[in-house]
Amino acid sequence: MPNFRILPRFLPALFVLISGGLHAQVFEGQQLVRASLVPSTKAVVPGQPFDVGLLLEMAPGWHSYWQYSGDAGLPTKIAWSLPEGFRAGPIQWPAPHLMIEPGDIWTYGYVDKVLLITTITPPDVLKPGATVPLLARASWLVCKEMCIPGSGEVRLDLPVSSASTPENAELFARFRSQIPSTAEPPFALDWKRTETGWQVSIAGLPPGEIAEIYPLPESDQAIGHPVAIGAGQFRVESASTFRGVLAVGNNGTRKAWIINSTKAAAASKTGTGLWLALFYGFLGGLILNLMPCVLPVISLKVFGFIRQAGEAPGKIFAHGLAFAAGIFAWFLGLAVVIIALKSGGTEVTWAFQFQNPWFNVVIGSLVFAFALNLFGVFEVVLPGHASTALESASSSSGLGGSFFQGVFATLLATPCTAPFLGTALGFAFSQSAGIILAMFAAVAFGMASPYLLLTARPGWMKFLPRPGAWMERLKQFMGFPLLATLVWILGIIGGQRGTDGIFWFLCFLLCLGLAGWIYGGFCGPLSKSRTRAIAIFLSIMIAGCGGWYFLGQKFADAGTEEAGDIAWVPFSAQKLVDLQAQGKSVFLDFTADWCITCKFNEKTAIDTPAVRGLLAEKRVVPMKADWTNANPEITAALKSFGRVGVPFYVIYPAGNPTSPIVLPELLTEAILTDALKKLP
Amino acid sequence: MKSVLILLGLLVSAAHAQIGSPAPDFTLKSCDGKSVSLSDFKGRPVILEWTSRECPFVLKHYGTGNMQRLQKDAVARGAVWLAICSSGPGKPGHATPEDAARLCSETGSQATAYLLDEEGAVGKLYGAKRTPEMYVINKEGILAYHGAVDDRKSPDPADVEGAKNYVAAALDDVLAGKPVAVPSTEAYGCSIKYVR
Repeated sequence: MPNFRILPRFLPALFVLISGGLHAQVFEGQQLVRASLVPSTKAVVPGQPFDVGLLLEMAPGWHSYWQYSGDAGLPTKIAWSLPEGFRAGPIQWPAPHLMIEPGDIWTYGYVDKVLLITTITPPDVLKPGATVPLLARASWLVCKEMCIPGSGEVRLDLPVSSASTPENAELFARFRSQIPSTAEPPFALDWKRTETGWQVSIAGLPPGEIAEIYPLPESDQAIGHPVAIGAGQFRVESASTFRGVLAVGNNGTRKAWIINSTKAAAASKTGTGLWLALFYGFLGGLILNLMPCVLPVISLKVFGFIRQAGEAPGKIFAHGLAFAAGIFAWFLGLAVVIIALKSGGTEVTWAFQFQNPWFNVVIGSLVFAFALNLFGVFEVVLPGHASTALESASSSSGLGGSFFQGVFATLLATPCTAPFLGTALGFAFSQSAGIILAMFAAVAFGMASPYLLLTARPGWMKFLPRPGAWMERLKQFMGFPLLATLVWILGIIGGQRGTDGIFWFLCFLLCLGLAGWIYGGFCGPLSKSRTRAIAIFLSIMIAGCGGWYFLGQKFADAGTEEAGDIAWVPFSAQKLVDLQAQGKSVFLDFTADWCITCKFNEKTAIDTPAVRGLLAEKRVVPMKADWTNANPEITAALKSFGRVGVPFYVIYPAGNPTSPIVLPELLTEAILTDALKKLP
Repeated sequence: MKSVLILLGLLVSAAHAQIGSPAPDFTLKSCDGKSVSLSDFKGRPVILEWTSRECPFVLKHYGTGNMQRLQKDAVARGAVWLAICSSGPGKPGHATPEDAARLCSETGSQATAYLLDEEGAVGKLYGAKRTPEMYVINKEGILAYHGAVDDRKSPDPADVEGAKNYVAAALDDVLAGKPVAVPSTEAYGCSIKYVR
């Protein structure tokens, strides 16, 4: 007999059977909980499912718990004893309420009263006029300051009939409406991944109504508290996806939905604010003036205006305006072309958004090529015809001449501005017509602003920076922001197609870079036409084959699962024990992304049709212990076999879990299939 | 998939104890008025048991003698068992210093010491939220197990028999110098009645 004397402040709760199949949980003379079974229908109709609810009426201040009780507590359980042929479904839990105790302890449950609804399906044939006894053993935990477990039998007797009418409709309606619906909630939920979990913003909430979020973790998933950080904004810590219940509304109008975090990676990154984008456009346009093909021209042009206009300041400025108008015309013309292209295509063809990995591949390739151009790997050469036509138009004097000079100057600046224009073009494809016009106007304004300024105040020309070698350096430096853009795009692709996607895209970029170098090195105006022809052919071949293989074959498949892939179960010591307890054989593969031998074995020995077939035939559970990142549980498991590294393969035969079969590191398909064949 | 212990490590903020990291030191008064520190027991495995005399889940283990058996066994094998009560003043489970000495013996505990943490500081340091909640620290002072006593989440004394006892398993591993096979589980029980 244990040496056990505890103050009798706490007695096992007394249970009193009250007539009618109710149960009252009484403690120290106070009734804490009244439990009863409540029907939604007056009679049982054969073959027609009907709802029954466990009604828990709790004394003030006492609460019972939800299906996930939170940091403490215990969910209510119902164990049914039903007549032959009757089946009871699971408890349909209404959305709970939050209870916070000192020490940041959050629990989820119900106060006052709650109806836990269960759908019961009767058999198709029942004796008419008979009485159906529905028995259940309900067990719960009620807490106020203390916790008292309660349990008892509840009973309901219903007659059998060919037709029935509803009963307790109001009570059922009140709690049914709070059962979370699996439909999409009528609000926009925006999920953002944070370092340790998720942040969700709910838009469209009716004014004055509060939103609450309650988590529904998997059995071994650790989840934090959904903390409200603003109106309709919550943060919750979770290493993997979050699933839970969203409840909106007060009292009578409360409704709930099941919500899930999605893997949205890219969508939230676009849209930094229109004004900011326009400012960057303006800045970009301004910086264009510092490019080697633009800067020397500025002062020349302005002097030209002064010569034309004589000393009249107003006329000088008028020329400046005309010149600026030329610049605008060029940029806005481009914008119009883009908009026309956009609207001309079908939805499918122009579905280029950042959410489409192929769009990101195209943009990334363009950005990379432009960066190489800025670094000087190759130069963009203008077609001759366009320049001569504009040259003749701009040689005329007057404002019209100045206008065409503006267009011409921008055209001439193309070799330097192409990278930026190209990038802007790419981004513009994903925006609306209005935004495209605004962006290009901002760039035009930025590029035109020195002319406007200097023609308004010619005296300021002495402040212009002197052309020099620094311009070339600046041009090269501008390649790096473009590479930064590429890095950002790689991040998005990583989220969409995984590290495999990034890897194959980079392979393609390698080919593109080589092609660019060949073009730049051997296609200059000074090289022989035969050399040029060979060089162009080679660069197109390399870029084309690289694109076909790395993008068309490899990138297209990256990150997607094929049917028939081995369904690896992630390793956990507990899961292994559970599977063995279920009498299953387990094939445990210790691997890591940085282990080349592991990857080689996986491709040649493990992921083969023969092995897949045997795994299915022998019902072996394939379990993968991924040691890519530090994982003490896996380290411990390896150590228990006396190993310190990967790869490592072990088979636990069903029925003989204490003598696992260790396979060699250099695994061949034959070794694995032989071992699998020997399993029971 | 990351193992549960890493997830728990994420949730418990930096100041809290984490599996695989050194267990934070603390000093508390025991029920007989003596001052006890974790560092007093350097070199020996230490088991921390958050407990409350008023919680049905704790009483399930004490009423059946399960907890006392565990405590006696651990102490006999050279481990240290510290039972800690973090209930605040006026809350269930709390013992004032006057009552403490008398009440300590009444629980029938076989622990090395029964410590009173009425401010709740040590409970929060270890991120304890429930009673019973168990922590096993190995001989090197590293936290090796955190979680439930066993795998039957219920207050029913009949569930003690046949339950898989995580603490006993962790202690076996720690005493043998092996890494704990199941280092982390979700504890079940009543909430700790912190004062704030």
